Amino acid sequence: MSVDLEKILRPVDTPLPKFPAKYMTLANGQEMVVRQAERDEIPDILPHVEPLIHVERDFYNIVAARLYSELLAYYTYRVQDEYVLVAQIDGELAAIVNGRSVSPDVGMSYHTFSLRRGLRVGAHAFATKMEYHIDILKQKEVLIVAESGIGFRRWMIEYNLEKRFHIPHELGGCPSWSLTKELFDKARNTLVVGRRPVPEHLLEKAKAGILPPSDPPKGPEDLLAATRSMLDSTATSLIEMRRKQGGKIK
Amino acid sequence: MELNIYAYKCKRCGELHYPYKTICKKCGENDHNEFDIVPLPKNGKLLTFTTLYTLPSDYEVVTLALGIVELEDGNRITGQLDIKNPKIGMKVNGKVEVVRKDLYKKHLGMIFYKA
Amino acid sequence: MREVYVAGIGITSFSRLEYPLVEIAAYPGLMALRDAGLKKVDHLYVANMGGGRINGQTGLASAVVDHMSLTPAGAETIENGPASGASAIKQGYMAIASGMHDVVMVIGAERMREANPLEATDFVATLTHPQAEYIYGVTLPALAGMFTRLYMEKYGVTARHLAMVAVKNHKNAMDNFYAHLHEDITIEGILDSPEASTNNPYVADPLRFYDVCPVSDGGACLILTTAEVMKKINKPMIRLAGIGQATDTHCVHERKDPTELLAVREAAKQSFKMAGVKPSDVSVAELHDAFTILEIAESEEVGFFKKGEGHLALERGETQIGGKIPINPSGGLKAKGHPVGATGVGQAHEIVLQLRGEAGKRQVKNAKVGFTCNFGGFGNNVVCLTFIKE
Repeated sequence: MSVDLEKILRPVDTPLPKFPAKYMTLANGQEMVVRQAERDEIPDILPHVEPLIHVERDFYNIVAARLYSELLAYYTYRVQDEYVLVAQIDGELAAIVNGRSVSPDVGMSYHTFSLRRGLRVGAHAFATKMEYHIDILKQKEVLIVAESGIGFRRWMIEYNLEKRFHIPHELGGCPSWSLTKELFDKARNTLVVGRRPVPEHLLEKAKAGILPPSDPPKGPEDLLAATRSMLDSTATSLIEMRRKQGGKIK
Repeated sequence: MELNIYAYKCKRCGELHYPYKTICKKCGENDHNEFDIVPLPKNGKLLTFTTLYTLPSDYEVVTLALGIVELEDGNRITGQLDIKNPKIGMKVNGKVEVVRKDLYKKHLGMIFYKA
Repeated sequence: MREVYVAGIGITSFSRLEYPLVEIAAYPGLMALRDAGLKKVDHLYVANMGGGRINGQTGLASAVVDHMSLTPAGAETIENGPASGASAIKQGYMAIASGMHDVVMVIGAERMREANPLEATDFVATLTHPQAEYIYGVTLPALAGMFTRLYMEKYGVTARHLAMVAVKNHKNAMDNFYAHLHEDITIEGILDSPEASTNNPYVADPLRFYDVCPVSDGGACLILTTAEVMKKINKPMIRLAGIGQATDTHCVHERKDPTELLAVREAAKQSFKMAGVKPSDVSVAELHDAFTILEIAESEEVGFFKKGEGHLALERGETQIGGKIPINPSGGLKAKGHPVGATGVGQAHEIVLQLRGEAGKRQVKNAKVGFTCNFGGFGNNVVCLTFIKE
């Protein structure tokens, strides 16, 4: 072929400064490392995201499905200026955050995904992502939307984000909210943590391989129970009823 | 008009109640509404306080300072604080202002300032 | 009056349960029937606080009795705030002791996580005085925060003592399959590391995140019966020997000394007197640690330690499993969880397990006398129970 199609399809990435790895002590005394995931590590991450596409609780299914596609797009060069940060505890994958740089001044936050519940793992990962945009990429603001109530509470209550309802977010859905440098500076002392440099043995352990999470979020034990519930904010019962009609559940 | 928070004084024994009770806690007077309405004083000292970070969802602020104040006459009252660095035992001065909005309803209560 | 014994017990996980409130109540009931080897009960008491408001389910007991096909047994819903559970046990006791019924099922059930956490906090805050506390934004954590500040000032309790309670109870909960939080937290992680203040942020200064119990769903059940029925079913003879209940002013600011929990003191005194034991006879206790400070304060008020010395006993490790008086071996409300209406029954469940010697890794050795303190409101309605192994 005279035209290399890939050349047309692949966006040209702007060279962005890398995120310098950091680490922090969690409430249970374990140490968590947050670092930038290289493109060739994505295939090691995908298998841990995939099972959560089927966890019908707390919007894990939709966030996992969208994150999976975003990771794949990053791996196959289909989104411009995307980045992925991973949080690891003893090598185990604890959280994934990703986003992209829209312009030198504006960042776009995609998803924050905890594979380990509790211990503020998700909160630390989200704060790290904001740190990357504001401190490392030197952007003036980051545009954010949330799919789940957990996310909404995080940025509404902890960061008090500003409305940017006139700017559409790339993830679609509800209007954008913005974390400005000013808001980030206010939250810096209480919400942004981490120490550098990461001790050699911790970083080595993290880079040696992305291990599967030992206790990933699981779906409700009794899926049918949701069909008997009065309130079902995650629509599990609808999904379950469809599945029953498909004859997949006895 | 100066707004007040009212205490209820037993007509028989003079015991002050805040908040209202149907039967006097001291003498047991139980004729219906045998209380005089007396405004609570507004000066007092801070007995204890807290800054609350998880607020009921109808509040628009992020944190809320609350405290118990011992008033001049020895009565105590729970109220909101508008004081930068509160300390136990400090002198405070109260004003009756809006402490909570519930849709169209406004609730009045005592907010304390540094005296 | 007839003696009252525990024939059977059952419990669900105290975590987030995604099935209807009626089932949260019914499953532990089913487990307790199996445990006791019984098929029918004469009467049902169901402790619940938020069914009407959070789950849109009023008249819970009527729903549960039908759900378990126990009709036409009588059934009542008992609401006494966070002390609903122990209150329902008290009703069960009276029904049997009086001779009115022979087998009574007492269930506690709550499904708080159907609401979002802010609504759940607001729902519990409706326990406070509507005009003198609630309108100011006062919540239970706020009252506990103000209480803690006074306690620290007066008795020298520090943030480290509070953290020690949290760490102890979280550690105990690691061995409790039914506990809400299986997080083996450390002092380093929640107090000393540079990240500690972010891991463990303030909720109601000076109380922090790990000083406050989680919002849980859960159910627990006790089947109470007479000595006569006990002879037929071959279960360990655990006697509900003492019950005490007392109240205090609705507003915390009305108490003469707000650091004193007079209702706890009085309820415990009554309970011990009725059982004919002393605080020093107690081998294991479940105290209502909705906030870490409450475990310390209650351990003093019920008489395990002198007023103002609870935190010193904690330092010496006397409240750990293996210590002089192990407190909250189940993990307590702090780590086992706090489904408000079910909590009191859950505490009794743990004590019965301990007295039977069925508590597994968290078993307190030679447990003979067990005690529970179920604390409603901010100490304005307290029910204490004493159980004795015969």
